[in-house]
Amino acid sequence: MPIHYPRAMLRAHRLHPMELWGPPHVERHEGSRHFQAYTCDIVVKAMSFIRSGGLGASKAILVPHTCDALQGMGSVLGDFLDPDQRVLTLYLPRGRRGSDHEFLQSELRRLATTLVEVSGYEPSRADWDEAFEAEDAADRALADLYQRRDRLAISDRDFYTVVRSREYLTAEQFCQQAAALPEGDPPERGVGLMISGIVAEPALFDQIEAMGAHIAGDDLACGFRRVYSVSAQADPFERAAYRLLTSPADPTCGTPIQARVETLEARMRALGARGLLIYDPKFCEPELFDVPLLRKHLGACGFPVLHVEFEMGDRLPHQTLSRIEAFVETLS
Amino acid sequence: MSGIAAIGIDAGSTTCKLVAVDPDGAIMSSVLEPTEPRVELQVQRMLDAIRAKQGADSSVPTIATGYGRKLIKEATRNLTEITCHARGVFRDLGRAGTLIDIGGQDSKVIQIGPDGRPIDFMMNDKCAAGTGRFLEYTAARLGVSVPELGARALCTAREEPISSTCTVFAESEIISLIARGAEPDAILRGLHRSLVGRVVSMARSVGVVAPLMLSGGVAKNEAVRKMIAEATVEEVVLPGEPQLMGAYGAALLGIS
Ligand code: SF4
Repeated sequence: MPIHYPRAMLRAHRLHPMELWGPPHVERHEGSRHFQAYTCDIVVKAMSFIRSGGLGASKAILVPHTCDALQGMGSVLGDFLDPDQRVLTLYLPRGRRGSDHEFLQSELRRLATTLVEVSGYEPSRADWDEAFEAEDAADRALADLYQRRDRLAISDRDFYTVVRSREYLTAEQFCQQAAALPEGDPPERGVGLMISGIVAEPALFDQIEAMGAHIAGDDLACGFRRVYSVSAQADPFERAAYRLLTSPADPTCGTPIQARVETLEARMRALGARGLLIYDPKFCEPELFDVPLLRKHLGACGFPVLHVEFEMGDRLPHQTLSRIEAFVETLS
Repeated sequence: MSGIAAIGIDAGSTTCKLVAVDPDGAIMSSVLEPTEPRVELQVQRMLDAIRAKQGADSSVPTIATGYGRKLIKEATRNLTEITCHARGVFRDLGRAGTLIDIGGQDSKVIQIGPDGRPIDFMMNDKCAAGTGRFLEYTAARLGVSVPELGARALCTAREEPISSTCTVFAESEIISLIARGAEPDAILRGLHRSLVGRVVSMARSVGVVAPLMLSGGVAKNEAVRKMIAEATVEEVVLPGEPQLMGAYGAALLGIS
């Protein structure tokens, strides 16, 4: 489950992650029996998918403590529903102090013990090194993709299809795919928008392009917020913790609002974005808390903000599209 | 030789409007009809009529806005209602401020800047609360026609509070009020208050910058105007033809 988790640690234990962000075309019914009506689609639809046997031969479900909704999902799965897969939790600290690094390292050690039970495999030093090398290469490839965005001759839809393929491809497959993207002038691009939120479905990018705008940059949990820094500490737990705790600003990691505003403002100026589109699944609590303050502070810096909530898998309603289109017109 | 510089089309969910302007932006001709199911055919017929009347041909810039704007094949360009209403009202009233547009199927609050461009806006999402449809639908329960609504709501001092802004729940409340023998005009007054409460809270979240301006069909309703002024303690001003402001703004954008 989203958002942040230690990929190299899974690989060292010979496990391959497949991420569940929804999935969008699953009904809520089955999952909604276990949650309050105001729980987001990411959690409810993932639960429907799991309950209907969608995970097939997977060995475990890793539920990081991204937010209260995901923590609730971890408890419901682990304590009441007893799925075929082992349910693993990961408590992520909400700060980035020395004590947070220590806490996360101990959490990762706890998780590693469970991973040995799940996989039946105890990684050697060489396994850890190989895993970090491969996953660091994929992290670098993702960072490089963002660096090269202006020189890639592909649409926003195609760009984000590749970015999001990290959710299911191996590190090597992802690197190959990223390297194969054609360089050249990107298609005619129109007004630049910064998009923030958790996840954006491909159809949205087509609609934005048809409105005469483009994505100048993103602050999406499924995108730029997972451009991690790589490091080379000898201790694998210290190294994995460093990666997770140096990720870009993210409200689900407790980034203070002032730091978020400053980062967003600097990136918007550098990327030529004229406004911020916050595109959130309905009922996403960590995102909602920041919305009024982002509006206020970025508005004061001259960047208009539009907040849109959506239901995953629905066709975007006419009203929602009109709001985005009007926003683009105000920026043109 | 035609004097028309541009034509604006507002293909709304309830009414369809066309406005033709001269090069100075003055209205030369306008038409308003209830929207038909095939709005693209209806607009074509209206366009042909206005062009024939004014001796214009299809080279005159034609800008479409409104719910059905993307269906209008003849449009040179299409733009959202936000941009068009802001431009139309700004030109008509010559003032920046906050525009509340209450249409048949949606309502919006637009903050208009000193150059007539929208600075910020808010639209109601997905439901009929705070729209003309809310009044129309619930008033039908009381057997009152739309043009009478405002006057009826103002002719009594009594008011039956309607707690729901949802059209369906409000209808249930009305049924139980009727069953309890409540006075229909007092119910109507409560309905207006409920709609105004919803719209004013939207305006507050955008930020009310005086003056408050009204457009859309519901702007003609005097009870709505009065209650908005009471709730916001602001002056409320109306353009000459509130229902035509979307089409007028579209036509003005056709010139520029
Ligand atoms: S969408 Fe928001 S509430 Fe839902 S799982 Fe993600 S962070 Fe949590």
